[in-house]
Amino acid sequence: MGTESLAEHSSSAKRQEEQLLVDRCRRGDKESFAQLMRLHEKQIYNFTYRMLGSEGEAEDLTQDIFIAAFRGIRSFRGEAKFSTWLYRIALNQARNRIKYLSRRNFFARQRKRADYRVNTVSESPEGLPDSAPTPEQWTMTKDLATQVQECLNHIPPQARQILVLRDIQGFSYDELSAMLSLKPGTVKSRLHRARAAMRECLIEKLK
Amino acid sequence: MNCGNYQSQFNDYLDGDLSLREREELQHHLKECLPCYRKWSSLQKTQDILHQLPAFDPPEHLSAVVMARLKNRRLHRPPWFSANLPRWLPLGVGATLLFLISVGLWQVMPSQYPWQSLFPSSRKNGATTTRPAEPPKDNFTIRRGEPDSSAPVMVLRVKDFSRADQELQSMLRSFTRPPLPERESSRSPHSRSARLIQLQVSGQRLPHLLRELHKIGHLDQSQVERQTLANPGQQKQISIRIVVVSNGSDVEIHQLREGR
Repeated sequence: MGTESLAEHSSSAKRQEEQLLVDRCRRGDKESFAQLMRLHEKQIYNFTYRMLGSEGEAEDLTQDIFIAAFRGIRSFRGEAKFSTWLYRIALNQARNRIKYLSRRNFFARQRKRADYRVNTVSESPEGLPDSAPTPEQWTMTKDLATQVQECLNHIPPQARQILVLRDIQGFSYDELSAMLSLKPGTVKSRLHRARAAMRECLIEKLK
Repeated sequence: MNCGNYQSQFNDYLDGDLSLREREELQHHLKECLPCYRKWSSLQKTQDILHQLPAFDPPEHLSAVVMARLKNRRLHRPPWFSANLPRWLPLGVGATLLFLISVGLWQVMPSQYPWQSLFPSSRKNGATTTRPAEPPKDNFTIRRGEPDSSAPVMVLRVKDFSRADQELQSMLRSFTRPPLPERESSRSPHSRSARLIQLQVSGQRLPHLLRELHKIGHLDQSQVERQTLANPGQQKQISIRIVVVSNGSDVEIHQLREGR
């Protein structure tokens, strides 16, 4: 058996196991739901964290997503992958939460804190600005990761979700298309715009 | 091809969607054009950084919290509910039901404002104030009459006479001998009296009268409503025949009869 067919077999077995758990959940088996949750909680938590930029909010949102998933699991007919269906719920819940938090100036407050940190930290002791690294010199440090998250918070939620799903979580265009109910061409053009916005924000931040 | 054309291929290049020939052409251009190279380089680096972002482990208690929250909730939506139902459906169904109920009420209610029969305390103009305005003094008159034996009986359990409209109070008292005490509980349980009085009240003032009677005590007004609904056209003048029978706890009020 080749490596490819082995991977295919493993993926198919995983999907079957998942379907079994889903069937049990549909009959109200909470233990099966707990197992399903353990399979997906890390991905969903990281998605919500990247969407909201706050651990506390991400945890709350993840809880709400799984509760909504359990309540609506009878509507899952197995036509799409469970993860696709789960992400559809996550996207809806995230959109609503972002609207809710925006109304309460959550993101504006976050930006304010970030600006304050940048203004007070980015200058050298002599009062001269640090020499900005070129993109080739960007390396993943805690500070860069923070600034990337700030840029994610800065770009529009629609661009953010597509960037998180594709460039951070690595979903394919077909999967994105199914999750977002969009044509692959639309997904692609939105992703291009999102990447451009992210690139500009990073250049601006790392000047 | 100009720089714009090449730059529009950057994302496809990142995603590995360019043909071999397109890729070679682009790579060749990037070697010669510094602005394009810079732009490409920053875009590529941006994507690299996003790929390298660390993934966090969710809090350990996350699943326990979710399971605990699920325990306290109704587990599933009803079986007829499907996530595929359009979002406007509940709103649409609600609006249609409301409309049908309104039309139905409009048809069967005798009064000009249907809700007046449902809610005795509602005012004609729909204004909501905690203390409704006092009605005119000529609201209702009382005269003696004979009880109609075929009339259905309404029961008013008197708790406190003094809470009613002053005028109604004094009128009711004047037709009961010996006068009824302010609080029924102060009466002897063995005393018994029966009096007949008749009220004439304009149909539109009926809600006020009912409200006043409600203040006196608990009133079963289903008979009144049935009678009023049965005669939607004759609502200008209504006679209320009341037999006050007191055995220490109950005061019975005989039916409303349509006036002529």
